[in-house]
Amino acid sequence: MPASSLNPAVPIPQAAAAERPSIPSILHEWVTTTDHKRLGLMYIMAGLLFFVISGCMAALIRVQLAFPNNDFLPPQMFNRMFTMHGTAMVFLVGMPIIAGLMNYLVPLMIGARDMAFPRLNAFGFWIFLFGGGLLYFSYLAAPGLSGAGSAPDVGWFAYSPLTGKAFSRGHSTDYWILSIMISGIGSIASAINVIVTVITMRCRGMTLMKMPMFVWIVLVVAYLIVIVLPPLTAAQIMLLLDRFLGAKFFDTQAGGSAVLWQHFFWIFGHPEVYVLILPGFAVATEIIPVFSRKPIFGYAVMVGASVMIGFISLGVWAHHMFTIGMSAMSNTFFATSTMLVGIPTGIKLFNWLGTMWGGKIRFKTPMLFCVAFLFQFLCAGLTGIMLAVAPFDWQLSDSYFVVAHFHYVLIGGLLFTIFGAIYYWFPKATGKLLSEKLGKWHFWVFLIGFNLTFGPLHIAGILGMPRRIYTYDVGRGWDVWNLLASIGVIFQAVGILFFVGNILWSLWKGKKAGDDPWDAWTLEWSTTSPPPPYNFEVLPEVRSRRPLWDLKHPTDPDWKYE
Amino acid sequence: MAAASSPTISAAAEWKLPSKRKVGLICLLATESALFTIFVVAYLFYLGKSLNGPYPKDILSPPWLASVALLSSSVTVVLAERAFLRGNLGRFKLMLFVTIALGVFFLGATALEWKRLITHDQFTISSNLAGSTYYSLVGLHASHVVIGLLLLSLVWVLSLANWVGPEQHERVEMLSWYWHFVDAIWIVVFTVVYILGR
Amino acid sequence: MPGNETKPSSETPTHIALPAPTMWPMVTAFGITLLVTGLVTNLAVSVVGLVVALVGAVGWWRDVLPADRHEHVPVVPPSERAQPVQVAAGRVEHLKLGQAGHRVRVPAEIHPYSSGLKAGIAGGAVMAVLALGYGLIRHGSLWYPINLLSAAAVPTLATATTEQLRAFSSTGLAVGIFAHGVVSLLVGFVYAVMVPMFPRRGWLWAGIVLPLFWTGLFYGTSKFINPALAGRVDWPWFVVCQIAFGMVTGYVVARSERIETRQTWPLAARIGIESQEERE
Repeated sequence: MPASSLNPAVPIPQAAAAERPSIPSILHEWVTTTDHKRLGLMYIMAGLLFFVISGCMAALIRVQLAFPNNDFLPPQMFNRMFTMHGTAMVFLVGMPIIAGLMNYLVPLMIGARDMAFPRLNAFGFWIFLFGGGLLYFSYLAAPGLSGAGSAPDVGWFAYSPLTGKAFSRGHSTDYWILSIMISGIGSIASAINVIVTVITMRCRGMTLMKMPMFVWIVLVVAYLIVIVLPPLTAAQIMLLLDRFLGAKFFDTQAGGSAVLWQHFFWIFGHPEVYVLILPGFAVATEIIPVFSRKPIFGYAVMVGASVMIGFISLGVWAHHMFTIGMSAMSNTFFATSTMLVGIPTGIKLFNWLGTMWGGKIRFKTPMLFCVAFLFQFLCAGLTGIMLAVAPFDWQLSDSYFVVAHFHYVLIGGLLFTIFGAIYYWFPKATGKLLSEKLGKWHFWVFLIGFNLTFGPLHIAGILGMPRRIYTYDVGRGWDVWNLLASIGVIFQAVGILFFVGNILWSLWKGKKAGDDPWDAWTLEWSTTSPPPPYNFEVLPEVRSRRPLWDLKHPTDPDWKYE
Repeated sequence: MAAASSPTISAAAEWKLPSKRKVGLICLLATESALFTIFVVAYLFYLGKSLNGPYPKDILSPPWLASVALLSSSVTVVLAERAFLRGNLGRFKLMLFVTIALGVFFLGATALEWKRLITHDQFTISSNLAGSTYYSLVGLHASHVVIGLLLLSLVWVLSLANWVGPEQHERVEMLSWYWHFVDAIWIVVFTVVYILGR
Repeated sequence: MPGNETKPSSETPTHIALPAPTMWPMVTAFGITLLVTGLVTNLAVSVVGLVVALVGAVGWWRDVLPADRHEHVPVVPPSERAQPVQVAAGRVEHLKLGQAGHRVRVPAEIHPYSSGLKAGIAGGAVMAVLALGYGLIRHGSLWYPINLLSAAAVPTLATATTEQLRAFSSTGLAVGIFAHGVVSLLVGFVYAVMVPMFPRRGWLWAGIVLPLFWTGLFYGTSKFINPALAGRVDWPWFVVCQIAFGMVTGYVVARSERIETRQTWPLAARIGIESQEERE
């Protein structure tokens, strides 16, 4: 094989460099990389950047809603705020951070050198990034109904007929469609890459039932993405055809059905939220055993439950549509299927508890986040089951109860496990430990802030406060809850500051991590921190689910019991 | 540790996992199937719901010849692949050319039909629901045919320059699988649009 | 194995082939983005985007055709490689059978159901004696408590006056004996299963806790099940009777011979290949 003629002079980071690389060459390295670790980190950094931007939007929303009849944000700007906040959080924060974790960890965990299609991996990242840029570019370039430069303002799920040409003039909705569509291509590319990598590149001895649970769950996530993102793309193509070429897909005047958009969107949208939360489960399933010093309770059942969630979640979408007047049969079917999907999730929760039971628990920062995840996700799941009861949903659909529910899932569930993941794998990726002290400050302050914000919003929802209103009157009983929620934002912001500060400080002055700071058992901890570009000098061979345990305890290896 | 007492799989045993390209293409075909399914669902959902004409049953006639051409191209592409495996590059180039020609014929027939529908029957994507669903579904399929033809042509041109050797076998095989998929989708589209839809 | 430095370094390669870095995927992505951006800005942008995307695609193809382009990354020197995984200090202690956490369903030895039968009879007899004693002492009638019990099922007794309840009633006697007998036996079975689950002197705790539990249950539901009895229950006596039943039943169960469940036997014995004696 001829040596690459592309970059003869670019030095490899680990090798002793003759001189410090210049900024352009560093930039060139990162821009042309196909290394899954670099791309994974780029995904996560981009996701965190969008997280901060979108979080600021949320803060502005909460400032506007802190007091009744507030005039901090005019209504049109408020509409853009919540649309951009929701869209960005799902597509530009959740999906990329998940893609980043998948890309970084899967090859390391299965003992491979890279993903199956490294260039496709790079393509997926860049098209996500450019798509995200396109969405925010709308602020500058899209003349909307009111004034110059406006972002989409139709809600993150862009219901018809509001999104039709007649009601959304200008190009703001088109920016929503196009940017999400091309980012979606990136997600599908990533997902295909993950599936092929897991199926075809596992190291010797690693059968499917010997993979780390993280890899199993991520495989289910990738399969969901592959099946479920095309409905969104299809619906968006139809909407584009409506808006640009006058097609009649969602044009009610011509016999089209606005409800059809809802069906197509939620056929994507509901499995999408499982795509978002399952990686949170995956992270928890890696962290909890290590910090309880016990293997995961019921590995086979966890695999089965994850696969069941993957299948059942495809059949629950219309629980977002209980209020549009479907037949009683439809309502019943979807209520039942929604409750059914809670069962495998509940099984997983019990398995995490079973893992912790009888273990020797170390409450380091990653574990703190995962324990909080267990409590908060339980609340979220229970409010979800409440909403699955169709008549209950008729009262509370599109109220702040639903908002509180899904923020408990996405922040209390997903974000907390993402924080846990960052505290857990940051040492592996950078070679430095994050500060435990700052980590605990981050955890406790953010915990208080998050619960202070979204706990009271359940009550506001039950008291009748609808979603997506830019202000409200005095005397409805919503005032105190909204004020509490807005105060919580201050704590969350401070928590995030601790987090960012921790990362920056630790990069500069963090303690050296070594190969295996947590005494863990999966393959990524057998290589250096950070790993060399090729991951492993010699590709490993495994005989059990915890290869490092086998090496550390040769008299009592796992393969005797599996 | 690696070759110590009774390993789970013996060192001599093969550790064989499926081929990357095959699994990758299967995933791609799955995703495309999901995409087509939604357009087919929209087509079926809106059957008979157009508020005004022109109506499909009045103006659509099944393109039998074009369909036969497209489906035969699946046969010729298999013949091309077999020739490639046997090292018969001359036959490979010929069969590949025939495949491309059949595909181009299909596209041409579709283009002619669309021209007739648009100019003669005033049936466009914006005329009614039937128009929206028809052009989007058939158009989506046609775009996949175009991509397939571009890739087949690329392979054909490279083979003319003798740049396609035996080590490319799997890539050529994957391209033929994609082409079979396009044909299979056409069977579904044909049934939905020209048989069920009238 | 990773980090296994005992292997000779000739086994570790000096260079490892990895896919070469390339900018063409990014260029293609940029081109596609421009292509769609043109739809909402100016079509000229789309044209530029199409060109850029094609250039990127061609560059990408040249990276993979005819074969994937690689670069050879030097393997880092041994001092920078992963440390070999250290064997953990100390041994892992294995749990023993019957120890908390070991994977048997405890208890590993159980009381036979027949002991529950016997216990139920014994407890039922003792409780009957005590209840009849209450009837005699407080109401001067043996039949009073029996009739009260039967009042749940016999309508005439349910609406009877206290005088009538003191009188003998053949239906009352029959129903009462049947009900008391059946329930005593059933509770006896429950005791046979549950006594080992209580700490230390299981019969004592089972004898106190379980009767209190079902007394509470009865207290809450008796209004609906047996209104005649509910209004007339002498709670202290009632509790005493139940606890007496419980303790006697529990004691009889606890004194019975335990038998082993087969969980602790080796597989061959469990499926019957070896007989019990040969196991030793």
